[in-house]
Amino acid sequence: MNVAVTVNGTVYERDVEARKLLIHFLRDDIDLTGSHIGCDTGNCGACSVILDGTLVKSCMVLAVQANGSKVETVEGLADGEQLTALQQAFTDHHALQCGYCTPGMLMSATSLLRSNPSPSDEEIRKALQGNICRCTGYWNIFEAVKSVAR
Amino acid sequence: MLLREVEYVKPSSIAEALTNLAANDGARALAGGQTLINVMKARAASPDVLVDLSGLEELKGIELGSDGTLSIGPMTTYTELMDSAEARARPILGEVCSKIADVQVRNRGTIGGNLCANDPTNHLPPLMAAIGAELTITGAGGERTVPASDFFLGVYMTAVGQTELLTRITIPAGKHDGFAAVTLGVDGTCIVNAAASMNGSLRIAIGCVDAVPVLIEVESPDTVRAAVRAAALHPPDDVHASSEYRAHLAEVLAERAARQAVGE
Amino acid sequence: MTTIAPEKVEVGKSLLGESVPRKEDRRLTQGQGVFVDDIKRHGMGYLHFVRSPYAHAHITSIDVSKAEEIKGVYGTLTGEEVASLTDPFFQIASEPGGRIKDFSLAVGKVRFVGEPIVAVVAETRELARDASELVEVEYEPLDALVDARHALETDAPVLHDDAGGNLMWEGVYEWGDLDQAFAEADQVIKIDELHFHRFNSTPLECGGALVEYNRGTGQWTIHTNNQFPGFAAIMMGPAMRCGLDKLRFVTQDIGGGFGNKITSHPQLVTCCLLSRKLNRPIQWTEWRTDFHMSMSHGNERWFRDTEVAVKDDGTLLGFRTKALDDAGAWLRYEPLGGVIWAQVTPGMYRWRHIRVDFTQVATNKAPVSPNRGYSRMQHLWFTERVIDIVARELGLDPVDVRKRNYIRTEDMPYETPNGCIYDSGDYARMLDIALDLIGWDSMGEKRRDAESRGKRLGVGIGSTLDSGTNNFGQSRMINPELQFSGNNEVATVKLDIFGEIVVTLGTTPQGQGHETTASQVVAEILNCSLDDVHVRAGHDSYWNSHAGFSGTYASQFAVTGLSAVKGATEMLREEIKKLASVIFGGVPVEALELAEGGVRIKDNPEAFLPFMACGAIINANNAGLPEDLGVTLNCRYVYRPPFEVPDIERKFGNLTLTYAAQIHVAVVEVDPETGYYDIVDYAAVDDCGKRINPQIVEGQVMGATAQAIGAVMHETFEYDEDGNLLTPNFYDYHVPHALDMPPLHTGAIESPSPFTPLGTKGMGEGGGAGIHAVCAAIQDATGKIVTDSHNPYHRVWELMR
Repeated sequence: MNVAVTVNGTVYERDVEARKLLIHFLRDDIDLTGSHIGCDTGNCGACSVILDGTLVKSCMVLAVQANGSKVETVEGLADGEQLTALQQAFTDHHALQCGYCTPGMLMSATSLLRSNPSPSDEEIRKALQGNICRCTGYWNIFEAVKSVAR
Repeated sequence: MLLREVEYVKPSSIAEALTNLAANDGARALAGGQTLINVMKARAASPDVLVDLSGLEELKGIELGSDGTLSIGPMTTYTELMDSAEARARPILGEVCSKIADVQVRNRGTIGGNLCANDPTNHLPPLMAAIGAELTITGAGGERTVPASDFFLGVYMTAVGQTELLTRITIPAGKHDGFAAVTLGVDGTCIVNAAASMNGSLRIAIGCVDAVPVLIEVESPDTVRAAVRAAALHPPDDVHASSEYRAHLAEVLAERAARQAVGE
Repeated sequence: MTTIAPEKVEVGKSLLGESVPRKEDRRLTQGQGVFVDDIKRHGMGYLHFVRSPYAHAHITSIDVSKAEEIKGVYGTLTGEEVASLTDPFFQIASEPGGRIKDFSLAVGKVRFVGEPIVAVVAETRELARDASELVEVEYEPLDALVDARHALETDAPVLHDDAGGNLMWEGVYEWGDLDQAFAEADQVIKIDELHFHRFNSTPLECGGALVEYNRGTGQWTIHTNNQFPGFAAIMMGPAMRCGLDKLRFVTQDIGGGFGNKITSHPQLVTCCLLSRKLNRPIQWTEWRTDFHMSMSHGNERWFRDTEVAVKDDGTLLGFRTKALDDAGAWLRYEPLGGVIWAQVTPGMYRWRHIRVDFTQVATNKAPVSPNRGYSRMQHLWFTERVIDIVARELGLDPVDVRKRNYIRTEDMPYETPNGCIYDSGDYARMLDIALDLIGWDSMGEKRRDAESRGKRLGVGIGSTLDSGTNNFGQSRMINPELQFSGNNEVATVKLDIFGEIVVTLGTTPQGQGHETTASQVVAEILNCSLDDVHVRAGHDSYWNSHAGFSGTYASQFAVTGLSAVKGATEMLREEIKKLASVIFGGVPVEALELAEGGVRIKDNPEAFLPFMACGAIINANNAGLPEDLGVTLNCRYVYRPPFEVPDIERKFGNLTLTYAAQIHVAVVEVDPETGYYDIVDYAAVDDCGKRINPQIVEGQVMGATAQAIGAVMHETFEYDEDGNLLTPNFYDYHVPHALDMPPLHTGAIESPSPFTPLGTKGMGEGGGAGIHAVCAAIQDATGKIVTDSHNPYHRVWELMR
């Protein structure tokens, strides 16, 4: 099926099978490999992207369902060389180690801060619950997000 | 990952969706996909056609009637329900939805999808049974309404036939409700849950102990445990809990939900 | 979150000890890391494995014809082909485990659910999976052996006929005088059975590879996330009948490893054979369910018939126990677990009389391999359980029993009963800090508060020694014929033509920030800025910056990796001075110093030669330089720790160079009605000697803590009686998420190692302490002896019944 998906502002037109998941479309069809795959049951959140303004796990969306939609991925966060405050905070607070969960974690935190610029500690935790990290124990991630909250 | 081949259609009306479903025995409705797509990844289910309901505006939205009755479109997401001013008329709904999975899943998963999956570890089946929800099912022959207590038929099976759709969830007015669960970690996979509602008598539904929510009616929280024992549950035994432990939790959680419902 | 850091002693400005931001982060926060699954090649084929649905069965026939007929399917590989194209993998074990024949795909028989049988390669990922469903395999099912405790019974199903039974390896370790210890004892505490469960660290990225074969040179390039390419090469070369230089390993970013990515060599061999057979690059992605079913579970272990000799005052004299270790279906790194535990034989305590009868058996479950804290975690959990059980039986305070028996700071360096040398440490002080962090003094009040809310509060201590830098000579205790000993690591540092300082490491970091800490060491020695130092990302065996033990595993980078970097950088510093000495017309090297990105004369800073000039002179402007200059500005250094071959007969000798320590304290509140519990407070105190980058060290402590919390509460690889894994995904295998994390306080002291060039100690695996601490806390809260390392709510409920 032909789809046209706008990813980070660029329209990508591709012919995809209906069975293709959005995450495979992003990674394999348009070579945006920043979003990752860490599970096969929708638990880990490494593939989190913002679809038409809503945070979703791109492994539980078919590529054909994203036809005509706007997708934001980690590659679209920084403005050229300029990292977002959140990306910088992840570095400053050592909120990543292997970096595999980081893209999804950043998308979840970005989505949180858009809708709630001043989240409480509990709201930060709740917002990141769908993203598994096996390296950091999350504490530094909470600190990083908190530091950017207004 | 890596689903079997499947066709995809996105109808623009309920009628068209019903036609799509009727056209192929292997067609299945795709709501939010937060269960079905995972099942397809495991190739545990492989529909021939996915009928995507996401374009059906008729299946969305929440309305609050003058008598306090809530009418919820099954394609309403958990997040939409949690954010809905109308849904606050029955606060337990948002409270329980906020404990389901995580933000991403709540953003895309739907109330109707949850009910139609009838995964015995989900929170909504016992909640709907306890609060006396009514489910409207639409097929080629028209509409019918079944109470939640008759809606769930077995593991992954509901009263919605292969060529039908759940088209409306109606929830009566009320606010004396309770909910309790033990999950793997905070809000993880559910081990046992229980929902309760006080409306004259106490109506309690226990989940994860049988293929369908187990309903119990009592007069007061003090008799809940005896009533659960009398129900002689034989819950499943699995890696997360023994049958005996689930049976014990059923008593404890039913009582806790009941006490919350009566405001204790 | 609170942090107590050691007092900082300012001795001039040093980069060593600074929490500088990580160099890796810029790419990783932008989704620009290169993980193995991100790599693509023209014409590559996607590999999908057909896996066994049976735990134990003969394979009676395999028919791949229907799969191969499909358009877009490039080909298949079966176990039979593998058996003709390769030799069985080299076995570390002596008799009887050494006789088993292990190939990259199952040959004739399957031994665990999920074992790869056939590999199918196709044009797309989806098609490869579709075709794999058309491969017809007929089985003759056999009884499955799931519980290791039955492995040696006469009627137990036998996995490997070649081994003559399920015994893979056994050995008796005995030091001191057990008879005397038990004669002197006031009491003998007996513990029937303790069980350490099966789990692993489930790195978020699963395994994978992209393998290319160069038909002209006969060489494979293996892009992979294997974390110990040196080991993989030693396993793969002989099996594939090729020299190790034909196997080029390339890694860049690795999405976590924790030991679980050491033993992917069977899958890599399959990829190699297929890339040659099909003449195209082969891409293999391991999915989460595949990983859970087949990759590197941690060792499951029982400790049976334990007896502990103690004095009434809590003085520990010695213990004996029978350790039974479940290796799973294959020995892919085993039976090394049968000796690795001995690095920490007495734990943190001064008992001198110890006997462990170690037995390892095969079962119809996934093969075990290293998992963060490999084999020491099991043994340290046992010793910590023993301490708390002894304290309970004697009616003593676990804090007092620990303090009475801790190896004291004045005993350091301390020789353990089996000849290991604990280099430095102050365990009693660490415990005091940890207890302070959780408010030990007000615990009575907290207990009463919990009780008023219907909860039971418990406090538990868990200690872990993070032994680092293996002496591989210990492998000879497993098999005297092995020719391994010592350890090594390599680094190269060069000054390039335009003055760039380029560093290559032999390691394969998976999040440990090696690019950053290596830069700190280089910049410190060359007295330049961190930005001037470029550490190549990842590992490439073509860079000649590796040796036989290269890799990132077993808590050693801060010792082996950084010592290699230090050595190479010092060589470069001396070469720069030597060159400058000539350029400055014979100024003695002693009169020169490195500063501000160049070299200058100490007494005449105007005489300055920037690195760029040095690089240009040697590489592109070298006419007239003395013939015997001996300067390349490209320095390779091999760090070799000071080890002797252990005494194999006595099983005695120094098995690891450094001993970092961790003491954790957990406070739990248990709901007595349901067994549900929360960790309501938590402290982790770490001592890994000199810390190069404290923030990175603390990050390791935190992550390991979270893994321990997951393991003790939720994470388990459990099987049903037919050998089906019951937790094959993150739905049933619950790893902690953001809402599950307790409040955390961290603290640190620094006891520099006297044995390492930088005073550092390897670290990162200390998280087992969390398992021990939570078990102890549950014991405290419930008043019942905790005998299992896995304590989900239902088990706690059962304890209290």
